[in-house]
Amino acid sequence: MKSIPKLIRRFIGILLLSSFLLIVFNFIAIAVIGYSQTASGSPWKTATDTAKALSKSKNSYILSESLSKELNSNNTWAILVDNNTKNVIWHTENLPNEIPTEYSLSDISMLTRGYIKGYPTFTGEHQDGLVVLGFPKTSYWKHMYNSWDYWFIANFFKILLLVLGGNIFVIFVIYMIANTRLLKSVNPILNGIRNLPLEKQIHVKEKGVLSEIAASINKTSEILETKDYQLKRKETARANWIAGVSHDIRTPLSMIMGYAGQLESHAHLADEERQKAAVIRRQSERIKNLINDLNLTSKLEYNMQPVNLENINIVSIIRQVVVDFMNMDISEQYPIEWITDDHINTCFVNGDKGLLKRAITNIIQNSINHNENGCNIYITLVEKDNKYEIQIDDDGIGATDKQIEKLNNTPHYMVCDENTTEQRHGLGLLIVKQIMSAHHGSVTVGHSSYGGFSVTLTLPMYL
Amino acid sequence: MDYNFLKKKRILLVDDEQELLNMVVSILKEDGYENIATAKSVKEALKVASETNPELAILDIMLPDSDGFSLMEQLKQTKDYPILFLTARGEDEDKFKGFGLGADDYIVKPFLPKELTLRIGAILRRSYKNENPLVKLHASEIDFDRAEVIKNGEHIALTAKEYDLLLALYLNTGKIVTIDALCEAAWGDNPFGYENSLMAHIRRIREKIEENPSKPTSLITIRGLGYKLNVEGK
Repeated sequence: MKSIPKLIRRFIGILLLSSFLLIVFNFIAIAVIGYSQTASGSPWKTATDTAKALSKSKNSYILSESLSKELNSNNTWAILVDNNTKNVIWHTENLPNEIPTEYSLSDISMLTRGYIKGYPTFTGEHQDGLVVLGFPKTSYWKHMYNSWDYWFIANFFKILLLVLGGNIFVIFVIYMIANTRLLKSVNPILNGIRNLPLEKQIHVKEKGVLSEIAASINKTSEILETKDYQLKRKETARANWIAGVSHDIRTPLSMIMGYAGQLESHAHLADEERQKAAVIRRQSERIKNLINDLNLTSKLEYNMQPVNLENINIVSIIRQVVVDFMNMDISEQYPIEWITDDHINTCFVNGDKGLLKRAITNIIQNSINHNENGCNIYITLVEKDNKYEIQIDDDGIGATDKQIEKLNNTPHYMVCDENTTEQRHGLGLLIVKQIMSAHHGSVTVGHSSYGGFSVTLTLPMYL
Repeated sequence: MDYNFLKKKRILLVDDEQELLNMVVSILKEDGYENIATAKSVKEALKVASETNPELAILDIMLPDSDGFSLMEQLKQTKDYPILFLTARGEDEDKFKGFGLGADDYIVKPFLPKELTLRIGAILRRSYKNENPLVKLHASEIDFDRAEVIKNGEHIALTAKEYDLLLALYLNTGKIVTIDALCEAAWGDNPFGYENSLMAHIRRIREKIEENPSKPTSLITIRGLGYKLNVEGK
């Protein structure tokens, strides 16, 4: 909800700025227009000038050349009303006929304030009387009863400011009301959009000016939900399919493995045939490991494998795995050496017993799979910086630098969305990686100091 | 002393697949077992069981008319004897369910013949240990009934811990038993920090059973990992 006050602040800022600019603009406009008005010459001034320019010679009056030209060009007429007789004693040539030639005092007062027969009139003082200028009917508008309260004029600027302030306030109130309404309808929509990435179910009321947007948000949420559901369904289907296939393979594979194992130890058979049986048995075991791995990895990948973390002794788990291998290694082709300090007997980690057992089994099995002619396997466990490092080495064929680099850094084809035609490696290490990441640990592969392959598992100590 | 009496135990084998039955029977026969009865359904299994009175049953979980779990319950109603599941269902929940109902072991297919025979041997030894009073070692014999060792005609008593350790080793004859498993056998569920005591006990056991305790032939050390008991006549 942080964005709403921010939005309001910005709107008010824009409003205040625009009001201020508007006032400034108005003042400038008034000033410019006013100036052009005064520049054209005030009619009162023209009247005074006319009075001055009117000179007496013998019995008649003469208006100066320039002023009579100016009056003519403006279609303005002029008369001189005598002080004593109140009769017109001089007038310009263009005096309309309707203009009276005699004036009473009240006529004079009237024409000073206003008009004669619709002609706006202005007066100028002359030594013999009053000069009256009559401008064309539509040239000026005169306020005939112009009187103001003194207080009003004295406080004019204050009043002006007050009125301006009042105006701004009224605009502001109108604006706020309009905006609050808008924001009120924007708010649920903003909330809806904010919640979209949280994968929550969203329903925005489809009401008000923005109902269309609300509707599309609801629709988007619906689509996201359906997609999510479909994806989960697909993943479950895939994991179930893998589980089903691996289940169905088990019984036929039992028979291949069982008979091959029997033939391998059959005393009546020749060595060569027993060797062949051994190959069948070994390869069936690889298939067995592969389907186990496939099943587990798909479950781990799709979060269908529960990880039951408890405080466990990793030494006891490694020992059990190693001993299981030794107990099953009929031909003793793969002797395993425990080269861990005898004093390290209990190393607690927070982990899933079954999964950790599986990870270590996979690494040892990996060494066995890749070294058909046998190899020595070495297990080390050391404590380092509140972590346990389990290192499993062999002195077998090992791997090239390139392969090791790839194993450490390239995603496995099972979890890689690119189409790859490169040679694929087994699932064993992928599972180890998945299990380690579920335990906040890590896996590194490399060259062994014994000449073969080396895998190091790092697990945080249980404190 | 040998295991002949265990090889004579009556075994009931239940699986709906004839081929698999044939194979398991041949594996068991090769290992020396003589009395094996088979069945392909729960109904048949119950009938065969009432006729042959088995002493060990090996059951599949998925059977045409019902499942192995309910078969186990029905079999155990008449007599309590060891039951081992041999199944294609490898899920942890199934294993837990099997053990929870009182199964003695659980093998997931596919399996190696040796794995099957080793586990059957272990179950039989554990279940019928009292019928085997004397276990013959290289230089001595163990009498689990009396908790003593007989060496050169001399009867040497075993302490409780020594008895527990020897029994755990004997039940896994020929297999390595980890230090942790031995500590658990002797000291129970929270067997941490007993490694030195274990070594001391092993030394004392060797003095009782070995001809030359500093060069053991029956109770072998697997460095850093555990111990193994070799029994004569196996």
